[in-house]
Amino acid sequence: MASISEQLYDALGIMVLGMALVFIFLSFLILAMNLVARKFGPTPQAVNSAPVAQPQRADTSVSPLMTAVITAAIHQHRKKVL
Amino acid sequence: MDGLIAFWAESGIANFDGGQLLMMGVGCILLYLAIAKKFEPLLLLPIGFGAILANIPNGGFTDEGGLLYFAYYVGIETGIFPLLIFMGVGALTDFGALIANPKMLLLGAAAQFGIFATLLGAIALNWIPGFDFSMTDAAAIAIIGGADGPTAIFLASKLAPELLGAIAVAAYSYMALVPLIQPPIMRLLTTEAERQIKMEQLREVSKKEKIIFPLMVLGLTILFLPAATPLVGMFCLGNLMRESGVVDRLSSTAQNELINIVTIFLGLAVGSKLSAEQFLQMETLGILVLGAVAFSIGTASGVLMAKVMSKLSGGKINPLLGAAGVSAVPMAARVVNKVGLESNNQNFLLMHAMGPNVAGVLGSAVAAGVLLAVLG
Repeated sequence: MASISEQLYDALGIMVLGMALVFIFLSFLILAMNLVARKFGPTPQAVNSAPVAQPQRADTSVSPLMTAVITAAIHQHRKKVL
Repeated sequence: MDGLIAFWAESGIANFDGGQLLMMGVGCILLYLAIAKKFEPLLLLPIGFGAILANIPNGGFTDEGGLLYFAYYVGIETGIFPLLIFMGVGALTDFGALIANPKMLLLGAAAQFGIFATLLGAIALNWIPGFDFSMTDAAAIAIIGGADGPTAIFLASKLAPELLGAIAVAAYSYMALVPLIQPPIMRLLTTEAERQIKMEQLREVSKKEKIIFPLMVLGLTILFLPAATPLVGMFCLGNLMRESGVVDRLSSTAQNELINIVTIFLGLAVGSKLSAEQFLQMETLGILVLGAVAFSIGTASGVLMAKVMSKLSGGKINPLLGAAGVSAVPMAARVVNKVGLESNNQNFLLMHAMGPNVAGVLGSAVAAGVLLAVLG
């Protein structure tokens, strides 16, 4: 059996090699992730365009009067249920 | 009268020896930790009960043909149970926080220093009479520093099956102790000002990125580290099932029913390795000490790496995040959040800490692959 100091020397080698490999592997992964993010990352325009459409529809379909009527109806209904 | 004597000769009282009683005591301690202290109860409860069953005189659970014998033989010796658990963990893991901030992978890498430093420590322990760890034993013990139960069991079953019981118990006990072990180290290595650093909000992550991520990890593993593909492959399968969104039934099975069933048998099978002749050794004491050292070094090296990154980025990274680089998902991330809140009660680091936390899972799987490739 190899002496303890020889074994320690081997272990030191595995330590250096192991840490280097872990760092290299994960660094490659970081590079790859950045590439993917550039190509497939979320586009800011798509997020902005959605909220613009909603208020218009809300304006045209329900008039202030109807809103008041519906609110009152709901209010009454809630009272009844409670 | 003969019948009575035969009955007595078969009874537990007549057949007990001291070692078995002691190991049943160990089993009861594990049950106590699981039930009263809530230490990793999902595993320590079946492990503790398995330890009691395995030490029943004339019970025959661990003899060839017994339930625990088969559970161990089928699930652990082959490495299947830890791999199935890893698939479930993959299905449970959301990589969003990591994809939004890929640099966090470096913290997951740095924290693996605990593993390799302990490798050295285990060999150095051979200077003390009574210890005789081979290089493969040392590697299996060192992986405790990865703070990842299934990885530790997988590697131990391949490299040092006779130490598996002690290694699994040490790994899960220390994972439960993360909230006690980590904070003093984190406070020691960081200043109050550093702990108060607030981080920018994470960017959104697209569904495509989340689907491509597991495939990319698998691809890199195939290219550079095929020895890690059992672990990483199952993990990526679970994660792809989750993120693809087309196999919700499989994904939900992997993260609920399957992982629960496997956990029961994994716990019992690990417990069956807690027999008197294997556990009541000097080596077990050494493993418990080395495990704590491995955890502490991993935490420290993660924090130190985060400090370096914090300096380089001009103070945009909170060094506490480094402590989450040891896996122990999500416990380590919660600890980071808690210590951060102590310094600044408006600073919520949980989502940021999930990045290095899941990076740590990948990091320890890669480290396990390296050890397997070199020593296996």
